[in-house]
Amino acid sequence: MSRVSQFIFRRRGGSGWHWTDIVTWVWLIGGTILMFGPALWLVSSSLKGPAQLAEFPPTLLPYTQITMPVEGFDNPLPLYTVTNEDGTTEVLAEIRRVGTNAQMVDPDAPEDRINVNIANREPLREIGFATDNYVQPLVTNDFLRFLWNSVFVTTMATLITLLTNSMAAFALSKYDFRGRDAVMLIIVGTLMVPLSVILVPLYSVVSATGLLNSLWGVILPTVATPTGVFLLRQYMLTIPDELLEAARMDHASEWQIYWRIVLPLAAPALAVLAIFSVVWRWNDFLWPLIVLSQRETYTLQVGLNTYAGELNVQWHYILAMTVVTMIPVVIVFIFLQRFITTGIAGAGIK
Amino acid sequence: MAAISKSLGTVVTVPLAWLARIIDYPLRWWQIRTGQGGMAAVFLFPNLAIFGVFVIVPLVLNFLYSTTSGTDIFLPDRTFVGLDQYQRLLSCDDYTRRITCREDQFWTAAGNTLAFVIFQVATMVAVSLITALILNRNIAGRGFFRAVFFFPVLLSPVVVGLIWRWILQRQGLLNLIMVNLGMEPEVWLNDRAYAFTATIGVSVWAHMGFYTLILLAGLQAIPKDLYEAADMDGTPPARVFWRITLPLLGPNLAVVLVLALIKGVQIFDEVYVLTGGGPGTSTLYLTQYIYEVGFASILRNPGLAAAASILMGLVLVVLTLIQLWLSGRKEKAGKR
Amino acid sequence: MGRIALKDIRKSFGGVEVIHGIDLDVEEGELVVFVGPSGCGKSTLLRLIAGLDRPTSGAIEIDGKDVTRVNAADRGLAMVFQSYALYPHMTVRQNLSFGLENTRMAKTEITARIDDAGRMLEIGELMERRPTQLSGGQRQRVAIGRAIVREPSAFLLDEPLSNLDAELRVTMRAELAQLHDRLKTTMIYVTHDQVEAMTLADRIVVLRKGVIEQVDTPLGLYNTPANLFVAGFIGAPNMNFFETTAQGGHAELPGGLTVKAPGDGKITVGIRPQHLRLADDGEEALEGIVTLVEALGAETVVHARAVDGTGMVTVLSGQPGLHIGEPVRVALDHAQIHLFDADGQRIIPASG
Repeated sequence: MSRVSQFIFRRRGGSGWHWTDIVTWVWLIGGTILMFGPALWLVSSSLKGPAQLAEFPPTLLPYTQITMPVEGFDNPLPLYTVTNEDGTTEVLAEIRRVGTNAQMVDPDAPEDRINVNIANREPLREIGFATDNYVQPLVTNDFLRFLWNSVFVTTMATLITLLTNSMAAFALSKYDFRGRDAVMLIIVGTLMVPLSVILVPLYSVVSATGLLNSLWGVILPTVATPTGVFLLRQYMLTIPDELLEAARMDHASEWQIYWRIVLPLAAPALAVLAIFSVVWRWNDFLWPLIVLSQRETYTLQVGLNTYAGELNVQWHYILAMTVVTMIPVVIVFIFLQRFITTGIAGAGIK
Repeated sequence: MAAISKSLGTVVTVPLAWLARIIDYPLRWWQIRTGQGGMAAVFLFPNLAIFGVFVIVPLVLNFLYSTTSGTDIFLPDRTFVGLDQYQRLLSCDDYTRRITCREDQFWTAAGNTLAFVIFQVATMVAVSLITALILNRNIAGRGFFRAVFFFPVLLSPVVVGLIWRWILQRQGLLNLIMVNLGMEPEVWLNDRAYAFTATIGVSVWAHMGFYTLILLAGLQAIPKDLYEAADMDGTPPARVFWRITLPLLGPNLAVVLVLALIKGVQIFDEVYVLTGGGPGTSTLYLTQYIYEVGFASILRNPGLAAAASILMGLVLVVLTLIQLWLSGRKEKAGKR
Repeated sequence: MGRIALKDIRKSFGGVEVIHGIDLDVEEGELVVFVGPSGCGKSTLLRLIAGLDRPTSGAIEIDGKDVTRVNAADRGLAMVFQSYALYPHMTVRQNLSFGLENTRMAKTEITARIDDAGRMLEIGELMERRPTQLSGGQRQRVAIGRAIVREPSAFLLDEPLSNLDAELRVTMRAELAQLHDRLKTTMIYVTHDQVEAMTLADRIVVLRKGVIEQVDTPLGLYNTPANLFVAGFIGAPNMNFFETTAQGGHAELPGGLTVKAPGDGKITVGIRPQHLRLADDGEEALEGIVTLVEALGAETVVHARAVDGTGMVTVLSGQPGLHIGEPVRVALDHAQIHLFDADGQRIIPASG
């Protein structure tokens, strides 16, 4: 045990705590709480019912009211702990609330109605999950549709990105043709043109091509990423030309060389680009917000924003759908975190 | 599990392989007719076509839009007004007072963006540098902590905005903490100063992991023997930091600075969800201004939005050129 | 099958001509080695024959057919690359079958050919492995196997042994020679290693700066080098050269030794280190001071500086007791000297 703690709290040389060791651990533990805390708080909140969400101060964990079927009533009644004037407590079921008083009943003696001041009663609760927060929006509020739209956009955009970018990267890394430098220059140049700078004309182009309110209007403008072409080209430059020549001697057509030789060998770079593309497209917000104005075409991000922007925000649904939106990214994070971080450190892309 | 993923792989790859084989026939014919040059064109075409239609054409059109007025999006229906939109954006009766400007919203957004960028980038660089330095120490669980700080980077801006909107609301987590510490709860996002601070804090929270990674990579590229040599000379730690670490990290630090500036100028998504630009216009930044003028408001004015976006684009072009120059220099330094 | 003819082949890269008009005929079944220092154009020439590059002018014929404009794949040749260029993501079997599948050959035929090659090269056990799981020598065999299954009219080999360690190189060299013996297919082999060239070749093509210096059998090159370059390039240690002047049918070498030389004017006298021996007392000899003694046991390589300052190397059999700084006198075998004129071309010595 002491070995373990010795290892974990390895310090700047020798024994004793140097001030930098303290700063390090305060920073790391504080950072961990700050980075994960908000997301955990979101998950916890998303499992609370609307009534509990309106409470202050909020509880850390989600609870549900305990209910019990009582003779003579159709629905199960919520249970409360009531403090009597003499200080004793008993468990009663509430029938209805009238002003500051609640009409209650003893579950064991359902005939007698008891009036209790609401200040004297505490709801009886247990840890429980309001799963309805998740079921309702997916079933009745179009979120299943939004989810499908997001999945469609992400999948198609990623596939097209991988195909077109790798083809272009292949041509730019393995062929010597007139105008290659010019093409490279154009691609470098467009790195300087983020989408936010060409919103208006891009909207008009998308509108002219009839892609407004279509998911393809979201997909196509994003797929020709210069970053992807760059990343893949850099990688393909490391594939020896002799391999391609061997394939040419082997009767392979240029397309086969691309498909059967270069693509499989560029798999590591393709994987990095695929992961990034999935995260980018899943998270896209501004452009879908502009192109998609009909509810049935919304992606999750746009749908969330729309529901969160309503006058009467239904937080219990919003929070649950935020968690749903977060899930794929969390999965990517858990399984591919190492892969991504080395990819960023290596290529400096985001 | 393995069987499932394998059969899934077959479902995807077999049709793809067939498709590739079918495509091969016309392409072989084309290759025989045009040779390698023709094939280069084939491989470039899809990407360049999409590029041309959705990047190059809009880039050119942007200038045309910025010289026209009207609410129509169809260009021929719009009236040519020369540089009027730019004049409208930039003219003020009294340049010391924002209210007197014809398009005072633009000046507000520009001013807010400038303030945001200054504070956000400064905080971002400081926090990322400290985190990178700490992660570069010989600590247990370094991989885990690196992942911890990277986690928010992957979250969508909408999710980030909603998470923090939920935390900062009246019955939120922050107020719970305030109450427990014996302080008064606040409605944070209804206060101009708090809201502005929140946009900075939230964007730093969301993106610092990315910059930390770049700086960490830079730190790990510094040869260990330099530190050992300094240690042999008995150099005090502070001096090691100022005379070895910082100068050698310089290029990475510069790249981080400029990248953060480029991203900061374009800030939109998370702020839009968090505050919607409010309260009032206290967190209205440039991209939101362009979005609202161009698309969202009833009195929309695409020409004005285009002009504003070109002005913003100029700033970004300058910043990107600096970045390309810096990373080119970094590469050269690396080769040496 | 497998006659290759080059007719005035020229090749320029970006305006710089690197191959200056090469004419060459390679006979059917012949093993021809292109040899020369790096940058002599030997690999470029091979790539032109393969069809991986196109000549700027001139024609390439295979079995009498002009293939100058024919694609690499359609020339019926197979190439073994210096780096082997095995497809790293395919197994050995897939590496061998890839080219055959591309020609839509029947599956049974492909299997038969791969099995044959596997047996011939003893790589049958390795068929399901990836190239990264193979040793250097095994990769080399697979690369050759990939060429063999194509059943080409000629093999082109670009420095195929240069990535192997010295010991393996000797073994593989012998195997290549056996393979050629068995297949009897034309081979063109590029190397910068003259030992490889001497041991493998039916004929050697010596190239320098994009020009053929000489084409001959290995012993032909050794015994009658056409010029100074070939004389210096073939044979180890290098041939000794003495610049002198011929006068009245004789030329004098440092130390006063004279050799027969036709005509008048500047000439270079060449003599291989193996054709020198220690002079007897009173015998006409080359004189010098020993600068280095490399005792190899069975023979001793003696480096010396002749009286006029020219370096001179002697290979003496046995272990003569010579030391650095001592004077040395060596005699030569007059039948073995080579004479070159002022332009470096061989002078056919008058007999006697």
